[in-house]
Amino acid sequence: MLKISDLHVAVDGGSKPVLKGLTLEVEPGEVHAIMGPNGSGKSTLSYVLAGRDGYDVTGGTVRFEGADLLELEVEERAAAGIFLAMQYPVEIPGVANNYFLRQSLNALRRARGEPEISAADFIKKLRAVAEQVGVGQELIKRDVNAGFSGGEKKRNEILQMVMLEPKLCVLDETDSGLDIDALKTVADGVNSLRSPDRGMIVITHYQRLLDYIVPDFVHILADGRIRKTGGKELALELEEQGYEQLLGEAA
Amino acid sequence: MNAPARATRSRYVPPIPAFADAFAAARASLPGKEAPSILDWRQRHFDRFVETGLPTSRVEQWKYTNIARAANVPMALAARPNVGLGDVQRYFTGGPLARRLIFVNGHLASELSHVRGLPRGMRIESLGTLLQDEPDWSARALGGPAEPHSFADLNAAFLQSGAWIELGDGAVLEHPLQLLFLTVGQPAAVMAHPRIVVRLGKEARLHLIETHIGLAEGHCLTNLVGHYELGEKARLVHDRLQLGSAGTSFVGLNRQRLAERAELKQTLATLGGSLVRNETDLHLAGRFVEAQLNGVYMPIGEEHVDNVIRVHHEAPDGHSDQFYKGVMDGRAHAAFAGKIIVHQDAQRTNAFQRNNNLLLSDDAEISSKPELEIYADDVKCSHGATCGELDPTALFYLRSRGLDRAQAESILTFAFAAEVIERFVDPAVRKLARECLVVRTPGGAGLSDLL
Repeated sequence: MLKISDLHVAVDGGSKPVLKGLTLEVEPGEVHAIMGPNGSGKSTLSYVLAGRDGYDVTGGTVRFEGADLLELEVEERAAAGIFLAMQYPVEIPGVANNYFLRQSLNALRRARGEPEISAADFIKKLRAVAEQVGVGQELIKRDVNAGFSGGEKKRNEILQMVMLEPKLCVLDETDSGLDIDALKTVADGVNSLRSPDRGMIVITHYQRLLDYIVPDFVHILADGRIRKTGGKELALELEEQGYEQLLGEAA
Repeated sequence: MNAPARATRSRYVPPIPAFADAFAAARASLPGKEAPSILDWRQRHFDRFVETGLPTSRVEQWKYTNIARAANVPMALAARPNVGLGDVQRYFTGGPLARRLIFVNGHLASELSHVRGLPRGMRIESLGTLLQDEPDWSARALGGPAEPHSFADLNAAFLQSGAWIELGDGAVLEHPLQLLFLTVGQPAAVMAHPRIVVRLGKEARLHLIETHIGLAEGHCLTNLVGHYELGEKARLVHDRLQLGSAGTSFVGLNRQRLAERAELKQTLATLGGSLVRNETDLHLAGRFVEAQLNGVYMPIGEEHVDNVIRVHHEAPDGHSDQFYKGVMDGRAHAAFAGKIIVHQDAQRTNAFQRNNNLLLSDDAEISSKPELEIYADDVKCSHGATCGELDPTALFYLRSRGLDRAQAESILTFAFAAEVIERFVDPAVRKLARECLVVRTPGGAGLSDLL
């Protein structure tokens, strides 16, 4: 479903290379974890997939369900089924969470030629999902992320993700700032989306999240490339040995 | 103080003779017309207005608004147009138990107003009635001329109506009081001169809602003066909403004086009117005063909005916070000049000021001038002014959830201004303001579900 080939990306107006030949393939039903030290290019990868400005693709290709993803606008990628759960969700004072979600859901439906969801169906669905991912009913009515704690923001990202039912979920350090209970709730939300026709990329620093969201593949990203790929046990090895030793062996 | 010194004379222009004609014509009909004390009070202010003249943009306080060009024109005192309950009901705020004084082009509409059933220790009256029924007391209570101010003097000369609000020590008005000023635009230039006087005794509490609504396109200049005295530990919540219609103008001067531990929370939204100028002169006269000034302005088309604020920290341990935001579209021009003056013995003052602006068009303009004048040494003061476009990170966030660029921009523009609107204490004011905000937001039609 997603095919990244020899991707080169630079920031700072193209002067600073971050991704230097990254290749990765995600098939429906698979969960890929990407781990790597700070500055290895993990967040850059997530932003390039979602289409954020400021990242210059200097080489390689990204195809999503056969189409050239890099040619699409941000909202077209969302309509195509890509969702990025962000590391730093944005606060939007004055705009209620439930309003924003309904607008998003309907925008995606319109773009896909589907009818808009009725207000009643939307509320029903939202209530159920909010309960599932541990977002309190009062947070639903509050302004988007405004005054939310770090954990509430992350849970709100997962709420959006479950509501919007993307084909490819990209989670960028969703575990950062979460205590163990919140981590479990968030993982449960993510796991509820696991299905044979949905792919996932889980970017994380720590093995801990992967105890709850068990990946099919673990990739170690360092210096802009995937340096090592393995099964879920690779994360445990990494936890024991650290990047330096593990990658030293690989080199 | 006499007229401005001769060297600065050219900074003011003499009023056209039409003002004297209008004054001569109005004197005989204005409230208090039979009372020498009131006639004399009016005359002294009018004389000084003539002596001072109208400020040009060379006067620092009027740098961004060429008021002489806008106001030095023949204007008669506005007559009272017919306005019925059906025209005004949708602007009722403050809940079902709110009391209300309603004015139409400067005239009290007593049949639409009600301030009955006040608890003891409170006095809420029409200023026009007071001038007529108790002229000598009114002349004394309103006070003689302080320092010259062209528009305050003009207001005194033509003063026709307004509200006298007095809460004695410990008096608490449970439900909001709304002052609803309706402006019906006229084919020819007219003017109205209302005044608000608020005196809160020790520990008195008031929630005042002041709404200015334009009901029809056309001319009318409203020249409002507000005097606010807050006693020890008094608390005033002041929600102010300005929804002027095309062609109508507003010039306002508010002077507030707060005694020890008094609290003021004022929120002001300017969402309409060809020319709107709000001048605020806030004095933190006692220790431990808390003052919050929130404001948002969103001029479109050729509208002009000017906010001039002076915050005087005169006593120690005061806290003031100015938070103003602006969104300018079309060929609109807005100005914000906020000055914080910390007097020498106002130690441990906390004074903050933020002014954030968003320009939606290449032809729109904002002039922002923050100023600090600090004479004490142990203070925390900060000011920051920004002017820019929508936050690209926020735009990306919304688009990544499927909203197209136009929709995302409209939501973020709304949200930018709504941050201040949310600070209105009365829900009905908030709702009215949000409705107007949506109308003024590009692509706002798609935001109607937000209401």
